[in-house]
Amino acid sequence: MNVSHAPIASLSAPNEQAERALAALWTRPPGLLGWLCSTNHKDIGRRYVVTAFIFFGMAGLLAAAMRIQLAFPENHFLGPDLYNQFFTVHGTTMMFLFAVPIMEGFALYFVPLMVGTRNAAFPRLNAFGYYAYLGGGLLLWGGFLVNAGADAGWFAYTPLSGPDFSPGHRVDIWADMITLTEISALSGAVVVLATVFKQRAPGMSLNRIPLFVWAQVVTSFMIIFAMPAVMVVTAFLAMDRLAHVNTHFFNPAEGGDALLYQHLFWFFGHPEVYIIFIPATGMVSMIVETFSGRRLFGYPVMVLSLIATAFIGFGLWVHHMFATPIPLLGRSFFSAASMMIAIPSGIQIFCWIVTLWTGRPRLRVPLLFVCGFILLFVLGGLTGVMLASVPLDLQMHDTYFVVAHFHYVLIGGAVFPLFGAFYYWFPKWTGRMLNDSLGKWNFWTLFLGFNLTFFPMHILGLHGMTRRIYTYVAETGWGDLNLLATVGAGIIALSVLLFIVNAVTALRDGIFAVANPWLAPSLEWSTNSPPPAYNFYNLPSVSDAEPLWHSPEQKPVVVGLSTEKREVLNTTIMDAVPEHRYELATDSIWPLALGIVVTLTMTFVVFTPWAVPWGMFFSLLVLYAWFWRGNEPKFIVEAAKPKPQVAAQPTLVAPA
Amino acid sequence: MNTAVIDVSRLPPAVEDHTSPIWWGNLLLLFIETTMFALLVGSYFYLRMNFTNWPPVRSDVSLYQTDPDLGFATANLLVLIASCVPMFIVDRACLRLDLRSVRFGMAAMVLIGLVTIALRFFEFSGLKFRWDDNAYSAIVWTILGMHLLHLITGTAENLLMTLWVWFKGLDIRHARDVRVGAVYWYWIALVWIPLYALVYLGPRWL
Repeated sequence: MNVSHAPIASLSAPNEQAERALAALWTRPPGLLGWLCSTNHKDIGRRYVVTAFIFFGMAGLLAAAMRIQLAFPENHFLGPDLYNQFFTVHGTTMMFLFAVPIMEGFALYFVPLMVGTRNAAFPRLNAFGYYAYLGGGLLLWGGFLVNAGADAGWFAYTPLSGPDFSPGHRVDIWADMITLTEISALSGAVVVLATVFKQRAPGMSLNRIPLFVWAQVVTSFMIIFAMPAVMVVTAFLAMDRLAHVNTHFFNPAEGGDALLYQHLFWFFGHPEVYIIFIPATGMVSMIVETFSGRRLFGYPVMVLSLIATAFIGFGLWVHHMFATPIPLLGRSFFSAASMMIAIPSGIQIFCWIVTLWTGRPRLRVPLLFVCGFILLFVLGGLTGVMLASVPLDLQMHDTYFVVAHFHYVLIGGAVFPLFGAFYYWFPKWTGRMLNDSLGKWNFWTLFLGFNLTFFPMHILGLHGMTRRIYTYVAETGWGDLNLLATVGAGIIALSVLLFIVNAVTALRDGIFAVANPWLAPSLEWSTNSPPPAYNFYNLPSVSDAEPLWHSPEQKPVVVGLSTEKREVLNTTIMDAVPEHRYELATDSIWPLALGIVVTLTMTFVVFTPWAVPWGMFFSLLVLYAWFWRGNEPKFIVEAAKPKPQVAAQPTLVAPA
Repeated sequence: MNTAVIDVSRLPPAVEDHTSPIWWGNLLLLFIETTMFALLVGSYFYLRMNFTNWPPVRSDVSLYQTDPDLGFATANLLVLIASCVPMFIVDRACLRLDLRSVRFGMAAMVLIGLVTIALRFFEFSGLKFRWDDNAYSAIVWTILGMHLLHLITGTAENLLMTLWVWFKGLDIRHARDVRVGAVYWYWIALVWIPLYALVYLGPRWL
């Protein structure tokens, strides 16, 4: 194995003039307007990640405030009403505005690079997805700032969230922001899938796709089948609540059913956990492979585990409802399914351990976070298996044991890999390296702070402390462990601060990153750090699963794509054989316009149903402009013309 | 450069069929929409468990026969199924880049779309309940309404393509767009068959 730190010469521009010409074609227009119009997947991916990280910070501050409130019995830092808003906005932000979008941001940035293409499919849809997401975030937090923060919990169960028990507009804002974030998640999923299906480098057959990309494919399919459920259920809720509409989906007096809400919500809500976790496993696989210096053990098993997780993930939702009157058979079925999902996750863990064990691991910061992930996720998984058991679940339901469990799964299972991914891909992103020793401090403080905060919650839950209470009396004896958890939360905050300091100083005067600083095997490392607007001057071809580890300079490269319009190569779905060329849409302001129209629609629909027809009208107008101002077609036929000759085979020219 | 090259310059610059990314993008969006309708169907049966009579009787106006009217609904179903024929003719004409057929065929599709939208409003008046009467009416109005949204977007998309082919002509890329739109329209028509059966025949037969 002869890996180089330098970019692969055969994929780079032959001279500066050629470089400049292609860069001019693919670079967005200058200025703020150009930035708003950008349809480059790297711009959009970066926006998602930065925005989601800001929301992570803000939701983290809410968590810190809740920990201060709970540090002592009968504390008066937050009142009950504010506390309700804090935990609801915290949970909603973390799930809808942080976890899913940040994973999607990584996908949109890295999937096109990893499959060896110049931009994601449907660039304008991609740009619109971000604006819809941002609109959703502004709606939720705008409401929160004017004391209309959602306050019925992140899953807003009826009847609490219904018109009778939650007057005002807090829940309406919650329900409508969900729609915006899900529009964004769905468009991102479609973009990722079309990119992976049709734009892979020649030769990247299904068994050579990097595991991160596989993970994003599986996640995108889960998004497509899960997210409609939350859009349906929040639409039902909004219609039940909206004046002049007043349907009775969840009103038992008119034949409605509150449990229908729970079924629909968790039909989305459980897969949601895997929508967050599966991309994280993709990150872990990439990091483990790179830092153990050997090909990943059990690649086919890993891919099958991801797919199995996705399938089983749709058969678990009722385990959130064990405390409701569901049939015994249902309980047994969902209990068994909930235990079964530990199998594919366990397989993945063993594959990573074997890879590390049989490789030559370099314990750099990204791998450190991965080791933390393995430990914490196994702990979270164990409590998950415990909660899958119905009798135990009935005891633990709605206690801090559950809070501890899902923070171990979500922070251990997704945030640790995410920090690892930051350290791993930051150089590719920015062209600068993050500081190593600060990174180690970052890891150890996060690991310590996390366990201090959330481990005591297991015990508190067993002692009967329920979720979502704003205070407790001293006689419960919960004070000491709560104080410990609050101290831990402070250490987590310190750790995140260290990360921000690290990132800011690295951006200003970190050492420059080479193309492949970690000697990694996947294609995103074959181009400069940061990558040029067009990603690869010549598109790569692939003949194995670790292209940069097996004489990358010797592999054929793709030439002959247009240098006058933004063209990408389309290949076949299974074997990635070159099929045809495909012109992508140019930069455009209309995705932003549509984002604004859709956001305004969902804002006004908090107050009036007439927002829907008006919103639809303006959306269609914008979409007409979007389409009409597309790329001007080069060959317009004015009369019937025979079908042009197609299917010329690509010519493979042997090296001289 | 001494590396082998794969020269793709002789590959077609655009295609009209299912190998195109936009064809897949459309299919994936239809997965989303089909999932949405499946969830509505699931909710329909879930809510039905709460009722002894479905649709419920209306004792307030002594209206014991509350099954939704079949007339306009069946007419609309037939129009929708029949509309697949001109859509298919346009679809085929796109393969030949037959501008004349596409122009007139698309204009016809817009008119048919407007007819189905109009019929849908009559269908609403054939329901024996307002949307805010009970859970039955909520789910039935939602199923009809969500499908109406698709009739509107499908017709709007056909109108856009009609304007394009009348003003700008036809090239491979836009012929492909028309064909992808046709797939959407087939879906709109076909998905209505089980939904029609559920809403209109279900109360009578189940």
